[in-house]
Amino acid sequence: MTKKFSLTPYLFLTPALLVIAVFVLYPVIAVVYYSFTSYDIVTPPSWVGLSNYQRLFTADPIFWQALKNSFIYLLVTPILIVLCIMLAIAVNRKLPGINAFRALYYIPVISGSIAVGIAWRMMLDTNGLLNSLLISIGILQEPIQWLSEPAYTLPIVMLLTVWMGLGHYMMIFLAGLQNIPEELYDAARMDGCNDFQKHWYITFPGLRPQITFVAVISSLAALQVFNEVFILTGGLGGVLNSGVTMVFYLWRQAFRLGHAGYASAVAMVLLVITLTFSIMNIRLLERGTEAD
Amino acid sequence: MAQTHPLNLPATEARRKATGAAGRKTLEKIFWYTVLGLMAVVTAFPFVWVFFTSFKGPNDAIYSVPPQLVPQYPTFDNYTRVWQQLPMANFFLNSISVAASTVSLNLLFTSLAAYPFAKMKFRGRDTIFYLLLATFVVPPQLSFIPSFVLARNVFHYYDSILALIFPSLATVFNIFLLRQAFKTVPDDLLDAGRIDGAGEFRIWWSILLPIIRPSLATAAIITFVYQWNDYFWPSLMLPTMTHKTLQVGLVALQGAFGSDSRGIAAGVVMTVIPIIIFFIVLQRQFVRGLTGAVKG
Repeated sequence: MTKKFSLTPYLFLTPALLVIAVFVLYPVIAVVYYSFTSYDIVTPPSWVGLSNYQRLFTADPIFWQALKNSFIYLLVTPILIVLCIMLAIAVNRKLPGINAFRALYYIPVISGSIAVGIAWRMMLDTNGLLNSLLISIGILQEPIQWLSEPAYTLPIVMLLTVWMGLGHYMMIFLAGLQNIPEELYDAARMDGCNDFQKHWYITFPGLRPQITFVAVISSLAALQVFNEVFILTGGLGGVLNSGVTMVFYLWRQAFRLGHAGYASAVAMVLLVITLTFSIMNIRLLERGTEAD
Repeated sequence: MAQTHPLNLPATEARRKATGAAGRKTLEKIFWYTVLGLMAVVTAFPFVWVFFTSFKGPNDAIYSVPPQLVPQYPTFDNYTRVWQQLPMANFFLNSISVAASTVSLNLLFTSLAAYPFAKMKFRGRDTIFYLLLATFVVPPQLSFIPSFVLARNVFHYYDSILALIFPSLATVFNIFLLRQAFKTVPDDLLDAGRIDGAGEFRIWWSILLPIIRPSLATAAIITFVYQWNDYFWPSLMLPTMTHKTLQVGLVALQGAFGSDSRGIAAGVVMTVIPIIIFFIVLQRQFVRGLTGAVKG
């Protein structure tokens, strides 16, 4: 093999790398700079030093609320893992029509959070289906204002995320289940395992790669949630900011209030949290493979 | 009758055992179908309800105790009303243009980039590749502030669908996916091509791409669905009504129609139907794409 410099690989790479450099790498650098400026996108940014961060951490209770809400939002990850493994076990059997069920569960995943969110909003309206259903079966006397009650806002938004993710993560776990050799279950049955023990000792360890994958993907998505909050709160973030998450707050500061510099500081906090989270996840993943 | 032949005994016992097992089997089946059916209600009901609501006439109740599901006076009026008051045709056309051009150009760019990562040795390969992987953890929303500035002040494509196409021309995810696919192609095939005098570009085009067609389909589907459903960035870029995509238009519709639930429901149905049909037609590729993505 002759080792000589060739331009060919770089030619193949150029178009894609150019796009990624302009729309991913440059923005990261620019956002660091903007976070030290006062900037409204229309007039040029002016340097203000650390004052955005100072305000963020010491004088902005809504930011802390957003931070708290985003961390609460991470609860969707364990909920999704448990529900989707159960669902995958349920659909992992040879029954006539099983594919139709799997497909049906997948439909919320592909329908898009905006359309689905609007449907939910209509059902949860004070004059909506949920209230009329609950009243007619006698659970409620008076309609509840589901979407204007601060205590309900975040749980309802999280419920939408869970509902939309069920089919997606179910499919991932299903693929994992189908990779677990049947002989392991036969051996377990010989050893006298009951159904619960069978899943505890074989299914869960067998699904480890999928569990890690889903944990990473769904927790990153949870930290970055926007559409569900936007659509269910009508773009307002809920009464008393009860549904405001980090990305929603970033959006409001940058694109509603025109505080792009301040929003960039929020973006930096988001980046640091996401990075920490990813590193933690990778550590966990490495520990998982070492154990094998 | 009282006399049972001793030889019959084990036979009946076996039969009883067999029918018992069969009975347990049917019970199990009934149990699982109940579970699956309940779950189907949970996931499908909102769609069914929106679908029926979109056909309700003015005399069909939206809110009533007990609730009314099926319209008694079905009508297409809601659809015509939505179609008349909003430029739905534009929304569809814009969404289709964005999705089609993004998918085709993105696959071109990312499959070009994936080839050297999979099959060539060159300086900086690993550094560049890991740098790309690192961008996975950058929240996309973080880039929207600088991208907004670029759109307004540098590229001047604010308020045009070009603003949605350009940033999506290459995605790290697709480079990664296609790199994995190229890696499975044996080097002998490439060498055979080289002996026949094919250049690297020819090898990429006429040997590699045809082999990895399933992975290309996967990448195409994932990209298409993502573009079709994307809202955050398009909502920032498309203020003019006729320039909006379906998702952005649907939110505008929701605002314009206010408490007209029948009209909003019709808008939701029109937005969702194309992607559901797309999914039903390409179901197998969808699922393969997902499981492939986990392995990669």
